[in-house]
Amino acid sequence: MMRVLTAALAIASGIIVLLGYFLRQAFPLFEQLRLLLTDWAVVIAAAAVLVGILNLVSVQMEKLRNRQPGGLYGALLVFALVITFGLGLVFGTDHPFLRAAMDAVIVPVEASLLAILAVTLVYASIRLLRRRADLMSVIFLLAMLLFLIAAMPKPFGPIPLVDQLILDLTGILSTAGARGLLIGVALGTLLTGLRVLFGMDRPYGGN
Amino acid sequence: MPLIEFVSAIVGFVLTLMVFSYLIGDTPLFRIAVYLFIGVASGYAAAVIVNDVLLARLQSLPLGDPALLVIGLIPFLLAITLLAKLFPRVAWLGNFAMAVLVGVGAATALAGALTGTLIPQAEAAVDAVDPRSLTGLAGGGVMLIGTAGTLAYFHFGAKRAADGTVKRNAAVEALAWVGRLFIAVTLGVVFAGVYTAALTALIERLNSLMLFIKSILGL
Repeated sequence: MMRVLTAALAIASGIIVLLGYFLRQAFPLFEQLRLLLTDWAVVIAAAAVLVGILNLVSVQMEKLRNRQPGGLYGALLVFALVITFGLGLVFGTDHPFLRAAMDAVIVPVEASLLAILAVTLVYASIRLLRRRADLMSVIFLLAMLLFLIAAMPKPFGPIPLVDQLILDLTGILSTAGARGLLIGVALGTLLTGLRVLFGMDRPYGGN
Repeated sequence: MPLIEFVSAIVGFVLTLMVFSYLIGDTPLFRIAVYLFIGVASGYAAAVIVNDVLLARLQSLPLGDPALLVIGLIPFLLAITLLAKLFPRVAWLGNFAMAVLVGVGAATALAGALTGTLIPQAEAAVDAVDPRSLTGLAGGGVMLIGTAGTLAYFHFGAKRAADGTVKRNAAVEALAWVGRLFIAVTLGVVFAGVYTAALTALIERLNSLMLFIKSILGL
């Protein structure tokens, strides 16, 4: 019974949203229902993120309780989470304390993680040639190198014609490839959505 | 420099060095920085969700209209049932909320994929072919072949041959091989873009480290 109810709820809400998208001119009621359901989904998604964060806390506390390796790191994570959440709840997210947390922790660590990617990507490129030196790997690395040479500033300035030629050529080839990948992703999304709406896939626990 | 900015500059400086310690290996300093980051970022996200999404919507509920109030409270009731997902015995209670979320999400993604990607990209692929000029015809034709080839590469429909082996159609196979070339170039260009972003971040971080040291030394 539960399976049928949850599947019916998912299918009905999905169909109403779809009708709201495609029949908004002919039936304005569907558009209003779509907006209402989307608003509900925003609240539920927000709660889902909170549940995820609560799960993160419980997993880290479990590690600490069982004295598993890395438990102390988990304690630090939970401590930082509770302090930041508490300050945000009491003072609001625009308070200077929260801004300072952004400037002191989130921005530097995010930027530094992206920065070390510059080194790891070079390492990965070298490993690629060592492990799989086939035609596709060579084309991949060649396209990357040519694009970097053409796009990056050079001490002697841009190379006339050559830079533009490389950018045009890689632009045409990569636009075609990216368009194919995008269409493929859209087709995949379409099929996955249809499978959910037909009740063939039930990722909400109705199986 | 105000005290709060000075403290955040010191913390940022130290955390940057701790993250950079990853270049010599997966050190405890790197782990401390990453766990601290995840904790602060999660706490910040939770605070934003509670303040700007949940409390903001609760405060805007129409208290004077009982019918609208009930409709407005439904998502909050569903949201509360999601907490049951943390306890295996009553986890099924959260399935209703998940069903609404998945249904709305699937329909939104479906409509978005159709109207935002599939139709515009297919139109752009055709529009790129300009039969009025040779360059337009050649450039657009190459792009059309590349797009079709990329799609063909991910087409895995095959038939059983007379000798029992499973093979793709020869035309699809050839188109897929061309598609692989386009995919390799595309991923190469994407890789170059990511590398450029990473290099920019590296320069910015090194610059901020130098500026902080200069400001401490009074240079």
